[in-house]
This record gives sequence, structure tokens and C-alpha cells, in this order.
Amino acid sequence: MIPGSRIAVMPLTAICICQPAQAMVYLTIEQAQQLMFGARPLAALPVVLSATDIAAIEHDSGVKVYTNSLRSWKAADGYFFVDAVVGKHDLIDYAVALTAEGKIRQIEILEYREAYGGEVRNSHWRAQFVGRHYGDPIQIGQDIQSISGATLSCQHLTDGIRRLLSTYAIAIAGR
Amino acid sequence: MLSPSLAAKRARFATRARFGNEVRRARPLLGTLVEIRVTAALTEEKLHMAIGAAFAAIERVQALMSYHDPASELSRINRQAASSEQQIDPETYTVLEAALRFAALSNGAFDPCVGEQLEKWGYLPPCAATAEGARTLGGSWLDVHLIRPGRVRLSRPVRLDLGGIAKGYAVDRAVDVLQRAGIGRILVNAGGDLRIAGDWEQQIRLRHAHTPHLSAGVLALSNAALATSAAYYSRRRLSFGEVSALVDPRRAMPYIENGSMTVRAADCMSADALTKVALFAPPEITERALAACGAQALVQPAAA
Repeated sequence: MIPGSRIAVMPLTAICICQPAQAMVYLTIEQAQQLMFGARPLAALPVVLSATDIAAIEHDSGVKVYTNSLRSWKAADGYFFVDAVVGKHDLIDYAVALTAEGKIRQIEILEYREAYGGEVRNSHWRAQFVGRHYGDPIQIGQDIQSISGATLSCQHLTDGIRRLLSTYAIAIAGR
Repeated sequence: MLSPSLAAKRARFATRARFGNEVRRARPLLGTLVEIRVTAALTEEKLHMAIGAAFAAIERVQALMSYHDPASELSRINRQAASSEQQIDPETYTVLEAALRFAALSNGAFDPCVGEQLEKWGYLPPCAATAEGARTLGGSWLDVHLIRPGRVRLSRPVRLDLGGIAKGYAVDRAVDVLQRAGIGRILVNAGGDLRIAGDWEQQIRLRHAHTPHLSAGVLALSNAALATSAAYYSRRRLSFGEVSALVDPRRAMPYIENGSMTVRAADCMSADALTKVALFAPPEITERALAACGAQALVQPAAA
């Protein structure tokens, strides 16, 4: 290293710290509802998609539909949905508030889980999150919580939101 | 022996007793996930309101400077500023001015006119005006002229893309809003470009450049910003060769090596832009640019 230089080089051969999968709970469903709709009452809106609906949603959004149900609520002035997407590196649960006319009002991430070493494709790794209770944080590595690196695209989340808007238009609007 | 979750709950409780409440939120913005984390002796409701205002500031930056949005001010500049001078928002002016400053400081190793390459490689959507001819535009930051107090003109058609600097600017704006709301401890992380403010220190993991699902080490950061550029998540192979979302502007070539460049600076906009300077400028120019900003660079070298 040149004395007085502002450029430092990390010797990469020596360091390679393994880290566990990281998970972060931002909001519970109830907290997100409170943030988006305040005290206004929300009623659960049962949504079961038919095979025809699913085909139409996939055609309209260009995104695969994995389940025939959607966690949905209705308020006097809009809708509230909870959905999940799986990316190459992560799993994201998110909430979307739509206006009564079906326009996006707010999107909040509920829970973010980043997998290391390709565990996202591993069904065992995924299974540990299925049916887990929101608001029960599994924060691994409390002292180390932020990561700097090249930006991870969240294209899969954008796709998920597009699928949700198609689902709304095809199976929910007017209900 | 406490269970990890119980220990975590106790740690949070202890933190709350000493510093007030902590709230963390995240939204998809700027093409990535943006996380805001705050701690202050304010009610949770007040913290949520302040975070909402900070996200709104980032959304405004996105609405003005997104290449993907045909209705953004940046898209209007790309379509029209070569034929007529355009009035622009003070925020867009600020970011363009900074972009030109970093371009001058680095002799063009940082250049906001890389939209043309990124369109060709499929990282950006075609600008409406691109259809006018499939010919190569060429052009560089030297063709972008700012006219005080708030206008811009292009001396030839170029494709301005603020993707290498606006994310950092948006992080800085969010930090400003939170500081003005009286929040003491702030961390804003836009998919890896981040800034921390207040009387605390956080351990930040750096992704390992060759194996990005692992960590290359941990940096302690307080009252500073950190940004990293690398190709590991954006590299892809096209019919004519390998490309990435990182353009060496003077060669119009993609950075496809497996190294990474991290820069620490006082503000996130400088850190963001300087990663590109440090990747593409010769060392003596990088040293000069880093010194001008009081910044440091941390290189993870490429390997075969």
C-alpha cells in the first residue's frame, strides 16, 4: 500500500466469513393495516381463484400464480392485500393498499429473508418459514444488520405487484 | 441460557429504555429495497410519520429522475433538451450539477451519459426518442450544459441516466428529512448504498465480491455513507458477449470482472458516484477525486 493513499485493497483469499440466512420483520399484518387504514375497519374478503381466473391473471400479468387464494381485506375506502414473492436470493412478504378504484396507495415490506448459499431454492430452507407467525422476529445476528454490496434488483417484487393488480382487476374489482 | 429470541427481545427492551423507540420499515423504491431504521425518544407513531415523510422524499427523487418512467423529468430532458432548453426542478438540477462535477473531477470516468449503452444491453427501457434512428448517439457529459438557476440544454442528443448517483442522493434526502424531524439515530439503506447518522455506530457487512452470498468482512460505520459497485448481480451473457449494468463510459464497455469497489464518504451521493470513479479512473485521478471529497475506497480485486 502506498503511504497516504486513500485506496485500500482487501486481501480476499484470506477472508470469507460465512453467515447465516438473514431475516428481518418490519411490520406485522396488523401494524401495516394500522399504518395504511388507521382506525377504519377492515373486513376479511375471502378470495379463491378459479382455474379460469388464474389463467387470465397469468396471461394479463405475465407472472406465474402459485396459489389460488389471496389474503385480502376490504375497507370503505380501499383494499388491503398480503402477498409473497420468491426471488433468486430472497423471499419477501409484503402488503399493498389499493384505493377503492384499485390504484396503489401504499406498499410496505412486512418481512424480508435473504438466503445465503442458494438456500432459496432449497425447499427445506423455505419450509422453516411456512406458517410462521408474523411479528415473531427471528433476527439472526442482532449486532450485524446491514449489508453493503451491489444493489440487488427487486424485479420479482415488481412482478408480484403486477400480478396482484391483475388479480384485483380480474377477480376482486367491484366486490 | 436465554433463547435467541428472548435475548433479542431483552436487548430491544434495553435499547428502548435508553434511547427511545426503534422502528424499521422497507419499501420497494429506486429499483431495489430501501430500508429506513430510526431510533429516537419519540412515540412510535411519530417515528412512523417521519419515516413516511422520508419515503415520500425518495419517491419524489424517483418521480423526477427515473429512466424507466417516461413521465419523469429525466425522460423529458432526454427527449427534448437537445432541441430546446428545459426548465427543471431544483432537485434534478442539484443531481445533474453533482454528476457533471464528478465527471470533470474524473476526466469522464464517471459520466451520466451511459443510458445509451444500458439501453442497448437491456438494462434500461428504450427512451421514446431512441426510435428516431438506430444510429449511435455517442456524446458525453461535455454535451450537457446547465444554465443557472434551473435550466438544462444538450448540445447533441445523449441518453442521460442518473442511476449511478441519484440513489445516493435519495438516501441523503431521506436522512435530511429524518434529521429535521428530530430523529437522533438514522440508517437508510437503498439496496446496499447506505448512510448512517447520529450518535451511534453500526457494523456493516461487505459482500464478498467473488462469492456475494458470503461476507468479506465487517466495517464499523458512524456518521458516514458507504456505497459499493460490482457486477455480480447484474452480469449476463448476450449474443454479442457478456455485459453488466456498470459501464466504463470512455470505452463504452461493460465492467464484467468479479471485483468490487466500496467507497466511504460523508454523504451517500458522493460515495455512490465515487465507486464508478474508482472503478474506471487511473489511480492518481481516483486519489485526487477521493481527496477532494474526503473519501476512501476499499477495493476487492478481481480474480481469474
